Amino acid sequence: MAVSATAALVQTLNGIQFGFILFMIASGLTVILGILDVLNLAHGELFSLGAYTAIGVFGFIIGVIGPPGGGVVGTVVFVLAVIAAVLVTAAILLPVGTIFEAVFLRQIYDRDQVYQLVLTFALLLILLDVKKFIWGDSSIRTDAVYSAINTIPTSELVGLNYPTYNVFVILVGSAVVAGLFWFFERTKTGRIIRATAIDREMATAIGVSTDRVFTLVFALGAFLAGFAGAMAVPPTSATLEMGTNPLVLSFVVIVIGGLGSLRGAFVGALLVGVIRSWMITLYPPGEIAAPFAIMALILLVKPEGLFGTWGETA
Amino acid sequence: MSSEPLLSVRGLNAAVEGFQVTEDIDLDVNAGEAVGLVGRNGAGKTSTFRGIMGLTPVWSGSVKFRGEELTDIRSELIPKRGIGYQPEDRKLFTGMTVDENFRLPIWTSGKARGIDDEDAVVESVYDVLTELDDRRNAKVQNLSGGQAKMVAIGRALALQPDLLILDEPLEGLAPVVVENLKRYIRAINDRDIAVLIAESNVTHVPEVVDRLYVIERGDIIASGDPAELAADEDIQKLMQGSGAE
Repeated sequence: MAVSATAALVQTLNGIQFGFILFMIASGLTVILGILDVLNLAHGELFSLGAYTAIGVFGFIIGVIGPPGGGVVGTVVFVLAVIAAVLVTAAILLPVGTIFEAVFLRQIYDRDQVYQLVLTFALLLILLDVKKFIWGDSSIRTDAVYSAINTIPTSELVGLNYPTYNVFVILVGSAVVAGLFWFFERTKTGRIIRATAIDREMATAIGVSTDRVFTLVFALGAFLAGFAGAMAVPPTSATLEMGTNPLVLSFVVIVIGGLGSLRGAFVGALLVGVIRSWMITLYPPGEIAAPFAIMALILLVKPEGLFGTWGETA
Repeated sequence: MSSEPLLSVRGLNAAVEGFQVTEDIDLDVNAGEAVGLVGRNGAGKTSTFRGIMGLTPVWSGSVKFRGEELTDIRSELIPKRGIGYQPEDRKLFTGMTVDENFRLPIWTSGKARGIDDEDAVVESVYDVLTELDDRRNAKVQNLSGGQAKMVAIGRALALQPDLLILDEPLEGLAPVVVENLKRYIRAINDRDIAVLIAESNVTHVPEVVDRLYVIERGDIIASGDPAELAADEDIQKLMQGSGAE
């Protein structure tokens, strides 16, 4: 199948955009796995909760300030409302993550991993019911938000007709990646977290409270998942089952990158995002299978994943 | 010297994976003193130290540091009380530099230790471990075995501890490195920091410590003057079995 250069570029950008969303989900999942040694099956529901909450917060903001008018000012107000909704949503997910860790997960760290899987699966089901209770079981369309933001011309300036919202996601995603690497490489707290990931016992022997680190890491993971959900929802719509596919793909991402590796999650997310996007153009039936095929290939060649474990290689 | 020991261990029964591995250990370290604990591999040295640090379950017994019972408190509070620990297998924070390994304990426990000037403390560690001075920005996984041991000691020293627990700091190193490390340990002890050193080679420690304990099968079987104990034929025979287990 012949693909024009423009179509190839658009599909690659789509893949990168989806890759950044995936990274935001997978980074939390992999950091939680690397430090708490917990595979959080409810992580996709935190993503989904982020999407629903963002819609609610956005609606509340618009209700307070009134519908933005037309023209440049109206669009700017609209964009600012979206940004505020995303940030407030992520901030709401922080205490949700804190409560999950402190109330539920902390009780079972010294038990077999099966208990963790059962508990996080139970949390997944509870979150699913909470969403159904608050927002009902019909999907909530958000394409008006997407269309409004896309009225801002950005890529047209370089001769490419590409949705502005997707550009926005790529820019924000890049900032999140840079921020996360800066946090773990440069800040004291980030390096203490890395030290805990490398050797939990030795971290204790220099005075690290692992309870606090665990809570912080889980809250950070929930924050990132909620942020990703809020960023991901405008081009699609919020549905009850929207957390499942990103969770499964995030597992693929962290296996490709190396269980617990942040750098691996980044490379894996972009790889999965771009390959999936290209398959949509080249061979649509292969869209779902392609990421798994890549994962299987990498497991055969490099079973520990592309970047090994986290902490040392953050 | 105060009448109460800085560290007082009484009847310590530490466990590993559900098995008791020490037998009513009694051990004292006075302020500013250097004390050795020698024994064959598997004799219970590491388990004793891990029991003191709260890193392995203590089934019974008491560990008092400056009169405070340590078995009742959370293990992350023990370094904040003033005990620095160098584990047998170093357990460095790989992927980080020498400097970062020294700063981490200050970030986590510096406030509790009354450290105001982080840089000054780090410099004081390099003043002792001079060999690491030009390796500050090296990733710790790129160091030699001896340098890695020094980083593990320096990381414990960065806490500005009153007691430094060193688990086999001289084990497996070239003679020239052993001599350097002995010099560093003496320099640390000269700063009025008490040192408790475990070794499986009895010939290594007499010139570094003031008193010596001998441990066998989880039990303290002798204690006293390091030179006398090192010269004791029975103890020499016992220690020559080192590596047999």
